[in-house]
Amino acid sequence: MSDLIFDVDHVSLRFGGVISLNDVSLHQNRGEILAVIGPNGAGKTSLFNSLTGVYQPQEGTITFYAKDAKAMSVIGKKAHRVAGAGVARTFQASRMFSALTTFENVKIGAESHHGIGAVGAMLKGPATRRDEKASDERTIDLLNFVGLRDKANTLSASLSYGDRRRLEIARGLATQPQVLLLDEPAAGTNPSEKLGLANLIRKVRDDMGVSILLIEHDMKLVMSLAERLYVLNFGSVIAEGSPAEIRSNPAVIEAYLGSSVEAMDEQA
Amino acid sequence: MGAFGHYLTSHFATLRLEFWGLLVGGLATGFIYGMVAIGYTLVYGVLRLINFAHSEIFMCGGFASYFVMKAIVGTSVPSGFASIGLITLGVVAGAAGGAIAATALERVAYRPLRRRNAPKLAYLISAIGASYFMYNLAGKEFGRYNIAMPQLYLNHPVFSIFGAPVELYYLVILIAGLIMLIGLDRLVATTKLGRSIRAVAQDAETASLMGVNIDRTIALTFILGGALGGAAGFLFGLGSGVVYTMGFTPALKAFTAAVLGGIGNLRGAVLGGLLLGLAESFSVAFVQAAYIDVVAFGILVLVLLVRPTGILGERLGRSA
Amino acid sequence: MKLRLLLARPEVKRLVSCLVGVALIELMTGPSGSSTSPTAGISGSYAERFSFFGLFQTVRCVTFLFVALVIFGLWTLWLTWGRRWRGALTSASVAGAVSPVDVGRGRTMLVGFARAIVKFRTMTRLRQVRMVFLLALLAFATVLPHIETDPFWQAAMVEQIEVFVLLALGLNVVVGFAGLLDLGFVAFYAIGAYTTAWVTGALPTAAPFGIHLNPFFAIPIAIAIVMVAGVVLGAPTLRLRGDYLAIVTLGFGEIITIFANNLYGITGGSEGTNQIPHFSIHLGPINYAWGLGPVPYYYLTLVFVVLFIVAFSLLEHSRVGRAWTAIREDEVAAESIGINPLKYKVMAFAIGAASAGFAGVMTAGQTFFVNPSSFVLPVSILILVLVIFGGMGSIAGVVLGAIVIQGVTLYLIHSAPGWYQSSDQLIYIGALLVVMMIFRPAGLLPSRRRKREIGMAEAGEGHMDELLTGDTP
Repeated sequence: MSDLIFDVDHVSLRFGGVISLNDVSLHQNRGEILAVIGPNGAGKTSLFNSLTGVYQPQEGTITFYAKDAKAMSVIGKKAHRVAGAGVARTFQASRMFSALTTFENVKIGAESHHGIGAVGAMLKGPATRRDEKASDERTIDLLNFVGLRDKANTLSASLSYGDRRRLEIARGLATQPQVLLLDEPAAGTNPSEKLGLANLIRKVRDDMGVSILLIEHDMKLVMSLAERLYVLNFGSVIAEGSPAEIRSNPAVIEAYLGSSVEAMDEQA
Repeated sequence: MGAFGHYLTSHFATLRLEFWGLLVGGLATGFIYGMVAIGYTLVYGVLRLINFAHSEIFMCGGFASYFVMKAIVGTSVPSGFASIGLITLGVVAGAAGGAIAATALERVAYRPLRRRNAPKLAYLISAIGASYFMYNLAGKEFGRYNIAMPQLYLNHPVFSIFGAPVELYYLVILIAGLIMLIGLDRLVATTKLGRSIRAVAQDAETASLMGVNIDRTIALTFILGGALGGAAGFLFGLGSGVVYTMGFTPALKAFTAAVLGGIGNLRGAVLGGLLLGLAESFSVAFVQAAYIDVVAFGILVLVLLVRPTGILGERLGRSA
Repeated sequence: MKLRLLLARPEVKRLVSCLVGVALIELMTGPSGSSTSPTAGISGSYAERFSFFGLFQTVRCVTFLFVALVIFGLWTLWLTWGRRWRGALTSASVAGAVSPVDVGRGRTMLVGFARAIVKFRTMTRLRQVRMVFLLALLAFATVLPHIETDPFWQAAMVEQIEVFVLLALGLNVVVGFAGLLDLGFVAFYAIGAYTTAWVTGALPTAAPFGIHLNPFFAIPIAIAIVMVAGVVLGAPTLRLRGDYLAIVTLGFGEIITIFANNLYGITGGSEGTNQIPHFSIHLGPINYAWGLGPVPYYYLTLVFVVLFIVAFSLLEHSRVGRAWTAIREDEVAAESIGINPLKYKVMAFAIGAASAGFAGVMTAGQTFFVNPSSFVLPVSILILVLVIFGGMGSIAGVVLGAIVIQGVTLYLIHSAPGWYQSSDQLIYIGALLVVMMIFRPAGLLPSRRRKREIGMAEAGEGHMDELLTGDTP
């Protein structure tokens, strides 16, 4: 039980008359690469936004188990509090600080965890300088890790889509999270970038011990990466299981266009 | 508690005595606020932008109608049909002045920014600058003192409601206001222009794909809002005269009304205007004259903090 | 139909713009009307007797029409020939080398010029060069009162220029660093001044504990109170999106003005107070009292101006400054990495307020009177203009902007040409704001980052607008 990282219990989310999430229950184990898939409009991003405190579901509970299995209820907390507790995320359309360089983008992530103090920041005392040096080093390490070291001083707005995803991942990792939520990381990337991203994602989990929760449309990518999947349709969970189980699940197949496994593979 | 209780009872007594008079006055003021508020709401709808300079459009309408009236009205006070004709002319002149000012504003201060796809902050600052420019120029040209509008009719109580006299002035505002507001409502609901405005307000990109001329629609939106604001300037000027600073406070209150009713929502703007006018009017019974404005600004601050979507909700709102 | 086609042609639009612009300038520089003769100004502006550049007597509109046509001509020339000129300049300065297309004697001169600019720019980026430059500037500022001995200017340097530099620095933190549009900033200035008056016993309300303090001690008290005011005002309102925030701050500013004007028992009402004692130090061996002369105040304020500049500069490049940048650029992304936008925005408010409050103390202490009419909305707008004109987000920019605009205003008051009236200043300020937004929104001496941000917003990148319009995914 204590090896859970996320526990979503009967969560429902409504916007006016539209039901975005309908009695959704799921859980993620620590160290898992978990994927959430489903047709467009199934509620996947709403789920993400609920997990990060951006949306507030009207029903249900979401519990996040931070370090030392300390439980925290996500619903009712502001987004930055949830992020501070150890939930990092990327966005469907990459949100970088576009007028800043790659290095600065990640550095802001690394610093956000230090205690704040305007006076201390101004005075640049020895403690502040130590902290800054540490953030700088951490930033460089992360840029090396995601493979953006050579683009450290490029304006982030000039990065390619694949590199933007890497930047967002690096920035999220800079906050020393327990779990990294990736919203369609492969969208808009070419096959070689996709391969690189998949390897990176695996590396994040293997080398850094960060659990991964992934939304993706690219079936090939998802099936090769994910250890377990949930399938959403019209705001409800319609299936759960390993990649092999999901591929042969008739409800899932029906939910997507196409009524054969091959057709589903063609989605990639 | 005793002192406060005494304060309340004595002021409520005043309120009850003056109720109908204050009601009529409040409604008239409310119509003026509503008409100006529509200008804010319309521009907000199509540009997602608060037109800070709308206060000066109100002023331009006031001055335009003043000059026209000054040129036409002789020394004797007209009456009967002549009065009605003059009032109508005044409304038209005010509307024209407001529309021209609004068009000029849009061309000079906003369109170049739209061409460059400037960040929204630039529009706000440009609006502030334009507002400043216009009203200080007016101050330079027309002097710093209040100029009274030539008399178009003999102001007298027309009839009484429950003992409170209803002056002709209020009647003029109520009738003129009602005609214009209903006219606008029909225009937006039924005509092609109205549909274009609503389309652009919903989704400008798609609207342009569907063949709506965005530039023209925006220009016409400004004209509409400007016409109503300018006409309101004339009506306001009838009672209070015109002066270069006349726009600031009424426009800020009209903005309060627009937010109160739900910015982006035309009927909300009118509703907000009426509510604000009534609130102001009734508070005369409770606070000193100098603090009436504080009531309006206080409502503004409260609405923005507590329910920024307003009463009728932000029609063109976003989810979550 | 033909008319519409004619009007759409770029040359016609240019001509109309020139004519309209010049017509407006005629109005702005012409004689004023008045309430009793409201058309006098307009008719005078166009029909007044005016000399045609000293050649013969005519009416204003004729001379100005000529000017308009000349401007139109120059503009057209610039567009047709200037394009090539600008292209050469840009490509040369970017590449640092001669573009293969540019051959010919005239062009070589141009290229040499461009190269010089590039060299200058790279040089100024070196820290040592900047340090030397700043120290030279500081030395110049220190000797200034001895160079400019005109008493008008000496008093003005403190009251109008230094004080407004402080105010601009403060608003720069709020608008420039944190991206919050505050239209009621003057309220903090007022709070600083009134607190000084209160603490020194100059208000109808008794000073705390009945002790009348020296204005020096008012400094920490005023700054503390003003920062608290910033937090109190900011905490509820800074959750609002940008344009609503602007209006709320405007409303608050007005409310405070109305109260200041009417609470005779507390604030002295519309007369204010004029009994604030001067600064003085009596500490051990040091015994100095600031009197009526402006020069000692100049130095006192200069010390603090430098302090604030250094402090804000450090802040800008610290993690707080970076957090502000993140919030400004993309609040949603900033939140997703654990930055609490509200906290940092309130911090910006409080810090900016501190500078304004301090300016209030200085004003109260030096001019020894405090009066609500110094703290009205036009002053808030003026401070905004100083920041925008100088370059929001850029400390050097706003300091320069404040000095330039205030300096020009004061010059016009002091030695005004015949057609200028001091009340006209506001007209020019309004026009300046619009022109700045259209042509150079980043300001006179922009911060590089802001310039990039604006450029990116124009290209459709980034999420800068969400701060203002509240559009979130």
